[in-house]
Amino acid sequence: MSEERRSVSISGSGSLGGGEYTRVSISGSGRVNGDLIAEELKISGSGKVTGRTEVGQITISGSGGFGDAVVAEEMRVSGSARVDGTVEAKELKCSGSFRSGGDIFGEYIKISGSIRVSGDVETDIFKASGGFDIEGLLSADKVEIHLGGRCTAREIGGERIHVERSTSFGGALFNGLVKMLTGGGAAELRVGQIEADEVHLESTTADVVRGKRIEIGPGCKIGMVEYAETLKVHDNAEVGETRKS
Amino acid sequence: MNEERLISKKEVLEQMGISYGQLYRWKRKGLIPEAWFVRRSTFTGQETFFPRDKILDRIARIKDMKDDHPLDDLAELITTSVNAKLRVALSKLERLGWLDGDLLRACCGDETPDEAVSIWEAFVLGVLSRLRQVARDEEIELVQRTLKSQKGNGLLERVSENGVQLKLLRKRVSSGGISAQISLVALTEESAVFDPEIEVVTAIDLGTVLQRINLDLARSSNGATQEAPEAEPGSTEETNEGPGQASTDREVNDE
Repeated sequence: MSEERRSVSISGSGSLGGGEYTRVSISGSGRVNGDLIAEELKISGSGKVTGRTEVGQITISGSGGFGDAVVAEEMRVSGSARVDGTVEAKELKCSGSFRSGGDIFGEYIKISGSIRVSGDVETDIFKASGGFDIEGLLSADKVEIHLGGRCTAREIGGERIHVERSTSFGGALFNGLVKMLTGGGAAELRVGQIEADEVHLESTTADVVRGKRIEIGPGCKIGMVEYAETLKVHDNAEVGETRKS
Repeated sequence: MNEERLISKKEVLEQMGISYGQLYRWKRKGLIPEAWFVRRSTFTGQETFFPRDKILDRIARIKDMKDDHPLDDLAELITTSVNAKLRVALSKLERLGWLDGDLLRACCGDETPDEAVSIWEAFVLGVLSRLRQVARDEEIELVQRTLKSQKGNGLLERVSENGVQLKLLRKRVSSGGISAQISLVALTEESAVFDPEIEVVTAIDLGTVLQRINLDLARSSNGATQEAPEAEPGSTEETNEGPGQASTDREVNDE
């Protein structure tokens, strides 16, 4: 603990042993061999940490790779990042592309680029305006999705789930951009099951939607809706079966 | 023993008067173990079920405690996840009726502590004190050795997650005019089945023992005082007169 911490900057090409640092900055091509503990990590070129990463603030504007779990207070990705382990970040903002091989745990997650997760995503607030592919459960108090690309999840659950199409001009322009980034795909949400107290959906295909107050908006195809209090279904929506519980 | 009856998520919400949001939040905070979420296909599609008694009990407990503790701290208190650094005051064990000079010596060796013991020691004491009435000395010793052998294998963690029971068994074997009784100790799931000749002398739910310790710690400590081995008897007495205490007492008497 009493060891002196250093700050390191790699601007050409180089590698670094794991350990404790104050600041690590990679602007060329760099590699950290082993576990990294630091207050700050900045990758604007291409960087990789082979071990576990425990850093206060991570900023990736180039391309970053993490061979093991990442624990951070704040993680911002505007380039591309790939994490092979789980991600634990209080705040995760991604305007680029993000790929996680495990679960993501956070408090505030905002995605305007694209994100792929092999496990679950658990957070207090989840906001997405880009595209996402979550193989497991997306669980959050508040889920706000402005469909900007193809969005999929096995399940979504929480308190309030709001999904809407971006119809504004800016939104359309943005959609175009995101489509280019995410490789196209219609702006829609496909999910197996949705459960929340308040649900508002647009352009969503789901097998089952359960909740207290549910609004099924235009462009939805829902196999079954189970609601406790209220249900509104838009004329341009298909609902196979409805039940009041 | 009672077999695992299941209850659907919808029924849980209705019966306990909670929302989807709360259920998902509590799961995220680790208050409800992942293992309790049982997925089944029904005619209404995929549905989630829970072990009935466990989930209802857990949710009642969360509702009971959530106003007094921040949600992030609740996990530790409620799931009986173990903070090995905590010490349990002997006065507390005495109140629980777990304090027994012989057991304490057996459990902690010659250096009998005079103020507080570790969670592990409190746990072993809790188990042994429940055996005192029915078990013989050598059986108590056997139980103690069994627990000790599992200490390093994360027994406490397993107990808090999966519900492990300690069963004291006896079997009489006779052959050629000689008859002997052997005692066995097993750490198993609740549903374990033994051959009909085995007598289950007693089954102790280890999770309940651990929960008892943790609940008591939770009640008597006001955050910072958790580390203090000795809580003032006066103040702990007071905080223990809540309705929660009555229910935990019942738990103990039921066995």
